[in-house]
Amino acid sequence: MRKSLCAAGMAVSLMVPASAAYAVADVLETPAMKSDLAPKRLLNDAVRAGDRILAAGERGHIIYSDDNGKTWVQGDVPVSTTLTGISFGTETHGWAVGHSGVILHTNDAGATWQLQMTGEDAARLAIAAKEEQAEAIQERIDEAPEDEKGDLEWALDDIYFALDNLKSDLDIGPVNPLLDIWFENERHGIAVGAYGMALQTRDGGQTWQYMADELDNPQSFHLNDVARVTGGALVIVGEAGQVHVSADNGGSWERRESPYDGSLFGVLGTGQMNEMLIFGLRGNMFISSDLGRTWRAITNTAGATLNSGAVPDKNEVVLVGNGGTVLFSANGAESFREYFRDDREGIMDVVPVSGNNLLLFGEGGVKRTDARGRNLQ
Amino acid sequence: MSNPKHDKGEHHMTSPGAEPFLERLIFNNRAIILIAFLALTVFLGYNAIKIQPDASFERMIPLEHPYIVNMLEHRDDLENLGNFVRIAVEVKEGDIFQAEYMETLKQITDEMFYLNGVDRSGLKSLWTSNVRWVEVTEQGFQGGTVIPDNYDGSRASLEQLRQNILRSNEVGSLISDNFRSTIVYAPLYEKNPETGEALDYSELSRQLEEQIRQKYEAQNPNVEIHIVGFAKKVGDLIEGIASIAWFAGITIVLTTLLLYWYSRCIAGTLVPIFTSIIAVVWQLGTLRLLGYGLDPYSVLVPFLVFAIGISHGVQIVNAMAVEAAKGFDSVTSARLAFRALYIPGMLALISDAVGFLTLVFIEIDVIRDLAVAAGLGVAFVIITNLVLHVLIMSYLGITRSGVRHVQNHGDKQDRKWRVMSYFAHPGVAPISLLIALLGLGLGLYYKQDLKVGDLDQGAPELRADSRYNKDNAYIINNYSTSADVLVVMVKTPQEQCTQYEVLRAMDKLQWELQNTAGVQSTASLANVSRIVTKALNEGNWKWYEISRNQTIINASIREAPAGLINTDCSLTPVLVFLEDHKAETLERVTDRVEAFASEHSNEQHRFLLAAGNAGVEAATNEVISSAKGVMLMLVYGVVSALCLLTFRSIRAVLCIVVPLGLTSILCEAIMAVSGIGIKVATLPVIALGVGIGVDYGIYIYSKLEKYLLEGKTLQEAYYETLRSTGKAVIFTGVTLGIGVVTWIFSPIKFQADMGFLLFFMFLWNMVGAIWLLPALARFLLRPDRMIARDRARK
Repeated sequence: MRKSLCAAGMAVSLMVPASAAYAVADVLETPAMKSDLAPKRLLNDAVRAGDRILAAGERGHIIYSDDNGKTWVQGDVPVSTTLTGISFGTETHGWAVGHSGVILHTNDAGATWQLQMTGEDAARLAIAAKEEQAEAIQERIDEAPEDEKGDLEWALDDIYFALDNLKSDLDIGPVNPLLDIWFENERHGIAVGAYGMALQTRDGGQTWQYMADELDNPQSFHLNDVARVTGGALVIVGEAGQVHVSADNGGSWERRESPYDGSLFGVLGTGQMNEMLIFGLRGNMFISSDLGRTWRAITNTAGATLNSGAVPDKNEVVLVGNGGTVLFSANGAESFREYFRDDREGIMDVVPVSGNNLLLFGEGGVKRTDARGRNLQ
Repeated sequence: MSNPKHDKGEHHMTSPGAEPFLERLIFNNRAIILIAFLALTVFLGYNAIKIQPDASFERMIPLEHPYIVNMLEHRDDLENLGNFVRIAVEVKEGDIFQAEYMETLKQITDEMFYLNGVDRSGLKSLWTSNVRWVEVTEQGFQGGTVIPDNYDGSRASLEQLRQNILRSNEVGSLISDNFRSTIVYAPLYEKNPETGEALDYSELSRQLEEQIRQKYEAQNPNVEIHIVGFAKKVGDLIEGIASIAWFAGITIVLTTLLLYWYSRCIAGTLVPIFTSIIAVVWQLGTLRLLGYGLDPYSVLVPFLVFAIGISHGVQIVNAMAVEAAKGFDSVTSARLAFRALYIPGMLALISDAVGFLTLVFIEIDVIRDLAVAAGLGVAFVIITNLVLHVLIMSYLGITRSGVRHVQNHGDKQDRKWRVMSYFAHPGVAPISLLIALLGLGLGLYYKQDLKVGDLDQGAPELRADSRYNKDNAYIINNYSTSADVLVVMVKTPQEQCTQYEVLRAMDKLQWELQNTAGVQSTASLANVSRIVTKALNEGNWKWYEISRNQTIINASIREAPAGLINTDCSLTPVLVFLEDHKAETLERVTDRVEAFASEHSNEQHRFLLAAGNAGVEAATNEVISSAKGVMLMLVYGVVSALCLLTFRSIRAVLCIVVPLGLTSILCEAIMAVSGIGIKVATLPVIALGVGIGVDYGIYIYSKLEKYLLEGKTLQEAYYETLRSTGKAVIFTGVTLGIGVVTWIFSPIKFQADMGFLLFFMFLWNMVGAIWLLPALARFLLRPDRMIARDRARK
């Protein structure tokens, strides 16, 4: 019954200038409102850049603190869409991603942000890449022997199907979110997102390359997290247990055999050479010391989805998740002590700060807690 | 109207030439008039008995205000959004995880299920199957009822229950944050869907009290039950109206005692009571004939009518006793009393009536009804007191004990009056004026804090310490919920209410409102869409956003609460939960919404104010504050004009009206200090206070003028004024005070506020007339010129 609505929604492009068609400007044209509530509302990701701690969340909120989270300042952000990831390549150069496929950049340590890219740009990159592939396959079909033609035509159909999807999405606008970003320095970075979107830049975001096809993800499952582990390898995890590893700083990617079918929401280097923890739905957690070739499950009874983690000190690991879950290990992730915060709010990220304390970021904004996860007075 | 020069007859026997026409008309047809009155009383009395209570919600709101027009226009679309009962079952010892507690909760849930008026499909408690826990798994969602399937009250199953509750997302809404109470939530039908009958609030409220609260608190001494909801509130209000009957009884008894103490004459006591009751009967009977019922406001009018009747009756009894003491027979005393009093009496009563009628300009039906009821009542008092009362007394006469009382107490009283006459002394008058100025200054200073609207927490109609408001406070303190809801209606073309642009606009409005002081939280389809989109993406908070993809939006709101989308998807509300219902809060929030609406409303989405209790209050406040100035101007203008017409002197008007103005200002200061706002209930008080308060000044000034014209010095003239009418004026103030003072004990807060303020205004206006009027006269009146002018006129 709602199909007609759907069509009506698609018929009008959302990128028409706000004044002409809509009384309320698009989220991409509405700067985030400065609000005292920003530190108290959803924050999805946090990062440390030198002495500064920054976090990004709903409605284009990016806040930062120079006093270990006691006080927060809100940066100037040109969009007001939910932000999902933030990363700094240097102390002053940082990037944030979010819904509508936005990539934002700052060169003043988070005080002001500029829009580098939107989901429409990414979709156009994807369409261009698919069209190029389609052309290449078409050429191969023309030259291929008859018995190989069938398979190639199947592959071509898949590409056209993907193209149709991309184009109809683009008709609506920048529909799909980016879900995480990672930057190595002020030039090289990787952004991942919904429906297998992956982008890479080597010039500080001046240009982005479409990287999704370099990952072995034919069904375009969501990519949830990208991180580097000690030793230099890059890892992307995502839906359906995906683990992608690059040993050459993003040049090429290999998909690892997964110990788990469900969604993985995070990957965390433990500080040991080539060792990483992956975790996700319902508290599933695995450790690998050989860049994902072999895995060992780590049992915990918490049962809540795990979202993110940090390494406060040598051999220490803290993981956070839904339902106010805070897991702490003092033995290099051999075993975890479980704690559930009274507010039971979802926790999306954790940043260790001095004095064995933590900053927790999530559903209810930022919380200053002790090492266990209990609120500081 | 003419100068009250007619009462010169006081010192001679009556002669036909001295009789005004009215007097002849009335006294020459005594029997006929009495019989006509009897017939009228029987007819109107029959109607008065049949008058029905009528607590109609619509009559208490400003129907012409655009907010209310919008609300009523979309009433069907918003149905059931706000009509529910919440029952919090609190455990006294321990927490809710006890087999006995769960058993009681189960029985209460069952009982509610069968209660008339409850929308069973929407009934929610831990025991209903629509309260579930849900968990995301690799395969999708997994969930179940919060009460485990194999629940047997054992410790293990209670522990399982605790786990389920934690996973259920109901903590804060259905289960209190401290796990010491849970809620049974019952949406109500405005109309029974089977029979079409309107919900009987009073009956439902009674059932909740008897079948839920009393029954289960008795059955399980470890629980306490808190009940809130519109239905319960209305039920409590209707019950409150009933308690008025007690106040009527008490008022009549007190007044009778006082009258007897005053007159020492059985006839002089019972006849004013009788004729005043007749006036009330006529008033109620006429109201019914005009199609009115009795609401919590107009139910107070009979008290006023009664008190006004008594207070004017006293003037007549007083005057007759004075004449009788001079040796006149009953009929002559009555005639002389009538002749002396019909002009000031009529003037006073007409100014009362006109004062009330100025209330008609306030666009709220209950206030208009109040004006009509009070105006009618006073019109009848003119007839019952000036005609019926005098006629009956002309048959009965003042008893000898009454006459003796007047004679004996003369000397003692005179000494008192002598002392009080110094208020007109040239040495005392400036001090009085200085004190009055000081009072004025203080009044003006404190009245700066005067607020519009209701200021107390909870349901403003009921007292802060009422059972209902205590229950309300309990629920507000233990659950994430607010009692003050402003509803912004978002109007769209048909089938368009869930479009991305609409949700996006609502979301933007909501965020602006959440950043407005006084807003606790907001809710709309936009929230539902965000939270469900997140849930559909494996509970990952990174998906907490309104999708641009309409298919995803549609999936996310498929199970949105019914109240959030109307039947043809052309209206969707934004609910704004407020921290309080103070006028500043309401104004700040509605201003913000109006600014947003004027900037962003278009054909796709129009933002309309307002529904919800806070919306109604915001509209009422606007009407009240704009009406206040107009009403004050009118009532003072009318009263001044009437005085001017009668006494033909601006100086006289000032003498009479200035004390009233001081009282009005002091009244507003008292309101500010005691935290009473200007609202539907207290606005009429100002008009009533001024309209009735002017009587004292009229009675005193008319006498004072008379003695001044006879050539007496001001102080001497004032002494004579006090001797002849002082006692009656003081007594009038006291009777009026008694008439309203019982309201202070009403369970209905606004009745108590009205009683308190009217009590103050009636008494203080009397003080003003006796103390300040002569002081003003000292400065304003020029007796020489008055005499000269009087002679010239003759």
